[in-house]
Amino acid sequence: MADVVLLPGLLRQIQLVAGLRWRILRNRLRKKNNRMDLIGLIFSGVFGALMVLGLSVAFCFGAHTFLSTGRAGWMALLFWIIFIWWQLFPVFVAGFGTSFEFRTLLRFPLSLGAFYLIGLAYGLADFSAIAALCWLLAMTIGATIAMPDVLPAMLLLCGLFVLMNVTLERLIGSWLERLLARRRSREIFLAIFVLMMVSVQFISPMVQRYGKVAQPWIGRMLPYLAPFPPSLAGGAIAGAAGHHVGELFLGAAGVLVYVLLFSGLLWLRFASQYAGEELAETAAPARALVRHASAAGDQPDTLSRLAPQVAAVLRKEFRYLTRNGFAFLTLLLPPLLVLLFSSQMKMVGSSGRFRTPSPDLFFPGMMAYLVLILMAPAYNAFAYEGRGVQTYFTAPLPFRNVFLGKNLMLVSVLVFEILLSMAVLAFRVGLPSTPRFVATLAAIVFTVVGQLVIANWSSLSFPRKLEFGQMRGQRQSGMAVLVAFAAQIVLGAISTTILFAGGWTGNRWLPAEIFAFLAAAAVGGYFASLDALTALAEKKKESLIEALCR
Amino acid sequence: MPDVAIQIEKLTRRFGGLTAVDAVDLQVAAGQFFGFLGPNGAGKSTTIKMLTGLLAPTSGRMQLLGLDFATHSIEVKRQIGVVPEGMGLFERLTGSEYLHFVGQMYGLDRVTTRRRSEELLEFMQLSDRPKTVIADYSHGMQKKLALAAAVIHGPRILFLDEPFEGVDALAAGALKELLGRMTERGVTIFLTSHVLEIVERLCSHVAIIDKGRLVAQGSLEELRAGIAGEAGSKTTLEEIFLSIVGQGGAQRPQLEELSWLT
Repeated sequence: MADVVLLPGLLRQIQLVAGLRWRILRNRLRKKNNRMDLIGLIFSGVFGALMVLGLSVAFCFGAHTFLSTGRAGWMALLFWIIFIWWQLFPVFVAGFGTSFEFRTLLRFPLSLGAFYLIGLAYGLADFSAIAALCWLLAMTIGATIAMPDVLPAMLLLCGLFVLMNVTLERLIGSWLERLLARRRSREIFLAIFVLMMVSVQFISPMVQRYGKVAQPWIGRMLPYLAPFPPSLAGGAIAGAAGHHVGELFLGAAGVLVYVLLFSGLLWLRFASQYAGEELAETAAPARALVRHASAAGDQPDTLSRLAPQVAAVLRKEFRYLTRNGFAFLTLLLPPLLVLLFSSQMKMVGSSGRFRTPSPDLFFPGMMAYLVLILMAPAYNAFAYEGRGVQTYFTAPLPFRNVFLGKNLMLVSVLVFEILLSMAVLAFRVGLPSTPRFVATLAAIVFTVVGQLVIANWSSLSFPRKLEFGQMRGQRQSGMAVLVAFAAQIVLGAISTTILFAGGWTGNRWLPAEIFAFLAAAAVGGYFASLDALTALAEKKKESLIEALCR
Repeated sequence: MPDVAIQIEKLTRRFGGLTAVDAVDLQVAAGQFFGFLGPNGAGKSTTIKMLTGLLAPTSGRMQLLGLDFATHSIEVKRQIGVVPEGMGLFERLTGSEYLHFVGQMYGLDRVTTRRRSEELLEFMQLSDRPKTVIADYSHGMQKKLALAAAVIHGPRILFLDEPFEGVDALAAGALKELLGRMTERGVTIFLTSHVLEIVERLCSHVAIIDKGRLVAQGSLEELRAGIAGEAGSKTTLEEIFLSIVGQGGAQRPQLEELSWLT
C-alpha cells in the first residue's frame, strides 16, 4: 500500500499550485537567453500596474459620478467594460499555444470537487482577474462615497459578478483548450484571429463613412442587452440606489442564475477532464487501407530547369506556406492593406470631401510598405524547419541550393503580391507616371535582392525556432529584428533619396537609371554572396541546429 | 569497394571545458553491422553527428569509404544515410512528400523517387494515410519514416541513432529484416541503441564508448573472450557492457538508501 496517509487540505493544494506556477516562471527567467524576457516582464509589469491603477481611479470616479448625479442606470456600462475585459483578455493572452496545463494536476490524488475549486482559484490568479477585482473594488469605493446605502448591494452584486466572471472565463478557457488541442483547428483559429485583428483596422473608415447611419440601429439594439449579466448587475445597483428592492433582487437573482448555469456547465467540463478526456493530437490508426496511386512523378516537371535540390526546397517551401495559416495570411494582407490605406488616405485629405492621393507618391510608398512586410520573414528563414534543418546538412548539397530554393519562393510570393497590389492600386488610386513606375519597379528589385543577402546572413546568425499556428512565445531573435530594421532603414533612405533626385535634377528618368544600375549590382552581389553564405552555414551549423531542434 | 567503410583517427570534440569525444580511434569494415554502445552522455550521438556532418570535430580525422570527410563532404554524404537524433523530419509535410523531398535532395529523378517512396511507405506500413502530415504521426511512425528517408537513395553506409526506440514489435521485426538484407548486400550499418538484446542479435561487431573514450571494440566473440578470461562466464552483451562500463556494478546506483521502497 502507498504511504499516503493523509491527503493535503484544499487550501494547501491551492497553495502548492500557486507555488508551482511561480517556480515555472522563475526557472524560465533564470535561463540566460531569457534575460530580455525578464526586462520585458519588468516593463510590462510596471505598465500593467500603472494601467490597473489608472483605470481603478477612472472606475471609482465613474461610479461616484453616476450615483451622485442620479444616473445609476449607467453603472451597467462599467460592469460591461469589466465583463468584456475579463472574458476577452485571457483569450488574447492564451495565444493559441500550449502552456502549463492545469489538467496535468489530475495525476495527483484530487477529488472532482477539489479539482473544480482549484480550477476556479487558478482563474482568479490571472492578471485579467486581478485587474478586474481592483476595478470592482474601486467601483464599490466610488459608489459608497457617493451613496453609502448602496454598499451592501455593491458587495453582493460584485461578489456574484466575480463568481460569474471567473466561472465563465474558466469555461471558455476549457472549451478553447479542447478546440485548440488539435493542430489544424489551432491554425484555423489563429488565421481567423489574425483576420479579425486586421479587420479592426477597417473600423475607423467604416465608422466615418457609415457611423451616422448605424447610430439608430445601435440605439435599438441596447434593450436587448438587458438580460445579460453586466446589465443585470447595473440594473440591480440602480434599483438599490433608487430604493427599489424588487429591481435589486431581480437583478441579483438574474446574475445568480448565470452563476449557477455557468457553474453547472463548468462542472460538466471539469468532470469530463477528470474522467480522462482525450485531447491528443495524434490520429487513431486508420483501419481501411486507402491507396491514392499518384502519377505526379511521371508528369513533366514544371521546375525541371532548376537544380533538383533547389526545386525540392522550393516545393517544400510552397507546401509549408500553404499549411502555415499565419504565413498564408501574408498573401491576403498586401491587397487588403492597399485597400485600407487608399481608403484612409482619401479620408485624411478630405476635410469633409474625398480626395484621391497622388499616385506618384502613393504608389512607391505603398510598394515600400509591402516590401517591408513581405521581407520580414526572410530574416529568420529557417524558423519553421524544426528538426528538419538537419536534412540540409546530411544531404549531399552545397548550402547555396537551400538559399536559392528559399529565396526563389520568397521572390515568387513577392512578385505575385506586388502584381496583385498593383492591380488594386490601379483600381483605387491609379498608376503613377511611367518614369516613376519604372523607377519603383527597379527600386523593388534593388531593395529585395539587397535585403536577401542580409536576410540570409541574419537567418544563419540569429536563428529562432517558431511553431505553426501558435502565438505564445513566437518571437524573432532581437538581433534579427534589429538587423532587419537597420537594413530596411538604410535601403529605404537610399531609395527615397534617389526617388526624389529626379525632382531635384529635373531629369525624371534619373531615378529609374540609378535604380536599374543598383538592381543589377544587387543581383550580382547576391550570387556572389551565396558561396560565402555556404561557408558561413558550415561554420554556423551547430548553433543553427541547436536553435531549431530544441 | 574499399574494405574499410569507416575509419576514425583521434576524433575529438570539445564543448567548452567538456570533452564529449576524446581521441577516439575506430575502424568499421564494409558490410559490417556495427553496434556503438555506451551509457547516457557517453558521446555516442556526438560521434554519429560528426560522422554525418552535423557537427564539426575539434580535431581528428574521419574517412568514410576511403574519402576524407573534411575535403569530400558532398561525395561522402551521397554514400551515407542517416537517422539522426530527433529524426530530422520536416513535420509539416506528409510522409510521401517528405520522401519525395529527400529523394530529390539526394539527386534521384522524380520517377525513381516516386517508385521508391511508394515501396518504402508500403513496407513501413505508412501508406494508409496519404494526407496526414508528419506532425500528426505517432512517434513510432515518425521513426519508420525517418528510416525510410535514410535508405531511399540506397546508401552504402547507414547511421542509425536509436532506430528501434518507440517502434512496435511488428515494425521492429520488419526493420530488422530490412537492415539484415542491406548488410547482406554489403551496406555497412552503424547503429546506437540502448536495447542491448537487439544489438546482440543484429550486430557482428561492437564498440563501447564511456565518458568520451572508446573502452572496448571488436566482434562479440572477441569481447566475450576478453571478459571470460577475466571474470568467468560473462556471456550476454548486457553482462559484457556492465562489466566494462559499470565495472561490475561499481557505477550502479546503490539501492540501500531506498529501503523504504524495497
